Amino acid sequence: GVCPLGSIPISKDQHYQHIMQEAAWTHMPHPSDSERIRQYLMRNPCPTLPFHHQMPPPHSDSVEFYQRLSTETLFFIFYYLEGTKAQYLAAKALKKQSWRFHTKYMMWFQRHEEPKTITDEFEQ
Amino acid sequence: DRHHGGPNFMMHSGISQASEYDDPPGLREKAEYLLREWVNLYHSAAAGRDSTKAFSAFVGQMHQQGILKTDDLITRFFRLCTEMCVEISYRAQAEQQHNPAANGAIIRAKCYHNLDAFVRLIALLVKHSGEATNTVTKINLLNKVLGIVVGVLIQDHDVRQADFQQLPYHRIFIMLLLELNAPEHVLETINFQTLTAFCNTFHILRPTKAPGFVYAWLELISHRIFIARMLAHTPQQKGWPMYAQLLIDLFKFLAPFLRNVELNKPMQILYKGTLRVLLVLLHDFPEFLCDYHYGFCDVIPPNCIQLRNLILSAFPRNMRLPDPFTPNLKVDMLSEINIAPRILTNFTGVMPSQFKKDLDSYLKTRSPVTFLSELRSNLQVSNEPGNRYNIQLINALVLYVGTQAIAHIHNKGSTPSMSTITHSAHMDIFQNLAVDLDTEGRYLFLNAIANQLRYPNSHTHYFSCTMLYLFAEANAEAIQEQITRVLLERLIVNRPHPWGLLITFIELIKNPAFKFWSHDFVHCAPEIEKLFQSVAQCCMGQKQA
Repeated sequence: GVCPLGSIPISKDQHYQHIMQEAAWTHMPHPSDSERIRQYLMRNPCPTLPFHHQMPPPHSDSVEFYQRLSTETLFFIFYYLEGTKAQYLAAKALKKQSWRFHTKYMMWFQRHEEPKTITDEFEQ
Repeated sequence: DRHHGGPNFMMHSGISQASEYDDPPGLREKAEYLLREWVNLYHSAAAGRDSTKAFSAFVGQMHQQGILKTDDLITRFFRLCTEMCVEISYRAQAEQQHNPAANGAIIRAKCYHNLDAFVRLIALLVKHSGEATNTVTKINLLNKVLGIVVGVLIQDHDVRQADFQQLPYHRIFIMLLLELNAPEHVLETINFQTLTAFCNTFHILRPTKAPGFVYAWLELISHRIFIARMLAHTPQQKGWPMYAQLLIDLFKFLAPFLRNVELNKPMQILYKGTLRVLLVLLHDFPEFLCDYHYGFCDVIPPNCIQLRNLILSAFPRNMRLPDPFTPNLKVDMLSEINIAPRILTNFTGVMPSQFKKDLDSYLKTRSPVTFLSELRSNLQVSNEPGNRYNIQLINALVLYVGTQAIAHIHNKGSTPSMSTITHSAHMDIFQNLAVDLDTEGRYLFLNAIANQLRYPNSHTHYFSCTMLYLFAEANAEAIQEQITRVLLERLIVNRPHPWGLLITFIELIKNPAFKFWSHDFVHCAPEIEKLFQSVAQCCMGQKQA
């Protein structure tokens, strides 16, 4: 059987441990408990049907993957997933596609045509 | 370092100060005002990177309120803040219960809002306490604060019992761990002491002490940053013994329930979590499991086959294991077979000093014979069935005698083999145990041997030969049946299977010298016979597959 030595009596302490553990089980830690706060996209676990993708595709955490995403998707990731690796990868992908971030306007810019004036301080 | 002023002293004084309620009048109000101020500052736009701007303003306020005057007041301030954060979490939880339609994510965010601010305050105070190079004050403060949070947790746990909530403490610990592991020079210099402080904290809160915290506890010790820091980042493997202690704490908690197969839903979930952590460790840090396998197997109950197989299957990453199914595999030709594995558990310490003395003297002189006849009573501790033996002592005896035997054979200028291991004081002890012990004792004894059947090394080889020799020389079929049982039950479970275990079992059924197939127990029942045939096919019919 699965219990070759037979069972041993559970002590009073162990009984108490069992009860406390059962109580703890009714409010298990939530995945977001050990993560930084997400302002916009909070984790919201719910049952999903088994024929849907339960996991993202492999290698979707590489810059190459991010470069295949649309600019809108990258902007979305950049503004809505602040302070994450995803934001870093999105910024990298945007930069590779010659977008530049303006730290005062907090926006991404791309050249529409060659600038009319280019100096060491600015371009226009 | 329990001495006055050491980090451990600071933690324990923090724990005891968590239950002092004789606060000077008005302190609670001050703390409440300050914490609220800080939470607002922390979330304000002008806080600056890492809240540094807000912090320098806030320290001024703390001075003004007289909180920073004495250590005692600072301690009380931390305790009151912890209690307030916890209180806020309970209130949020109650709100959710009264109004189930409320958005759970928003309620949790409310808790995080306060807890994260408090954690940042702790991290900044630790970072900026004393001079930049004064690591002692920083570490002392950290231990003090951790001690206070532990003290508040234990009290809360004891008072609220089944209503105890893990969330606030879980968040404080994990966020503080992440803050203090940021890539900054000041933090890097105190990183090892920081990890030590957290290990001590987690050890004090082990599940046998705070069972209502067990799920958060397992998440804390299996957090990717914590594992990476403890097992990979810290040089000279200095984090390994502390991490091994935490795993032993986990196994000790699980042991009585796993042994009794009392697995309700909550226990099953915890068990699954344990399996996952072990799988991660087996994949990423197999050397760690190798080095501490003895200590782990000592606390895992004998019926937990798979849990133990995970640990025993670990082998050093630079090693290539020959396929056990290769026909005519010559195990004694492998070069690794002469190298002893590292055992980082002090297993001889389990033996009472007089027993160890008698044992050593017997191994040396092979006398008196009374040592053998008294062995059984030395190992037996009670008459309760299922609880008769001191399992730790059996394990220690088996490994000690085996390692002594290997050294003895090497000293004689030869290597352990089926012929060199026989007719010695060491084998006397093993044969005597096989014959003299009752079924329960023999089961534990054979398990202690099987626990050494791992990757190619001198212990695996020696104990593999010993197991086969005990089978061949057995004077009763019951012994052979039990040897088969111990080997088989470790192989019919799902993978992984330790290499040495497979090698030993294949040798047993393949080598005609053991006359394995002529034994009655192989044919005792049709389903058993079928089982043997399928295992044999699995072990020997690999060529066709």
